Amino acid sequence: MSLVQLARAWIVVATQSFGGGPASLLLIRRELVERRGWLTQRQFLEDYALSKMGLGINLITMSGLIGARIAGRTGAAISVASFILPAAAITLALTAGYLVVRDNPIVQAALAGAGPVAAGMTAGFAFNLARQSVRRGRRSAIDFAYAVAVFVAAFAFDASPIILIPLGVAVGAVLLRGESSRASGEAS
Amino acid sequence: MTDLLGLFLIFFRAAAFSVGGQGALPLLRQDFVATGLLTEHQVLEALVVGRVAPGPTGLYIVTLGYFAAGPIGAVLALAAASLPPILMIAIASALRRQLVSAWAAGMVRGVALTASGLLVATSLRLLAPGIALAEVPWWQIVLGVVGTVFAVRARTHPGLVMAGGAVVGLVFAR
Repeated sequence: MSLVQLARAWIVVATQSFGGGPASLLLIRRELVERRGWLTQRQFLEDYALSKMGLGINLITMSGLIGARIAGRTGAAISVASFILPAAAITLALTAGYLVVRDNPIVQAALAGAGPVAAGMTAGFAFNLARQSVRRGRRSAIDFAYAVAVFVAAFAFDASPIILIPLGVAVGAVLLRGESSRASGEAS
Repeated sequence: MTDLLGLFLIFFRAAAFSVGGQGALPLLRQDFVATGLLTEHQVLEALVVGRVAPGPTGLYIVTLGYFAAGPIGAVLALAAASLPPILMIAIASALRRQLVSAWAAGMVRGVALTASGLLVATSLRLLAPGIALAEVPWWQIVLGVVGTVFAVRARTHPGLVMAGGAVVGLVFAR
């Protein structure tokens, strides 16, 4: 395995995974696990679970963890760069293109339909996130109730995320301990 | 001219305080709309462009940065939002074992449940940009529900679902 091959594999994932996190995950598995055999299925799932534990776009973390397994620090740097930069460049180009046609009435009409769908998808993603995060059995009711309470605080009382998120860390560490969350579902 | 350092800090803070790319959305929406840098409608537009583009959904930040300050804003957004997950690579490699402990699981659970509650509130706000929910046209409410159901089932390609929404928009919004 050369570093060029590593970069090429990530560029394939970055440029072909239309449809967000789940599409990327599928392609990472196909390209790096199945096709090239650079890491095992188990290692793939472990890195995914770890990446979901924190700080921003988890697929960036995941690409770095996988790259580090394959080729150390250099591997991590090459993986992150060749995964994120092409995808970001395409996003940038799409944005520039969108700004050119934005004021067209047809584009605005299409957006009036696609926008609510995108908003709904975010809510659906949120529901799945809650479903994967709750503990099993009776404690799942407590966990769901906490998510609902956050929703009410944010929507009805305009509570700021900058207060609610640290509160969630504290409440979680004290009251919501237990089994680790399941490593499935949508990555973002 | 937008304050570029301020812009950098908005993206950095949102990433550092969130789990997952979409988890940053409630904070970003609040910061941008409250400061008047972007409208609610622009945040929704960025979400749509981000969903159409390949790679992580979280890259809608590139579009947000572009809307706020042009190509420089886009580059800045990417740099700022990448720092926390890159830091996380080092943390996760060093603390693999500690991160599977019960209290770490509790913290992650607390953040994830908070993010889900916040995200539902944010998506309702985006569905009704600057207006009351009751004023949203019925067909847009239906599209929001359809988007939710498809995302929960996660079997259909998100691009296809959004394309369907765009067609409905062409029929009803003109």
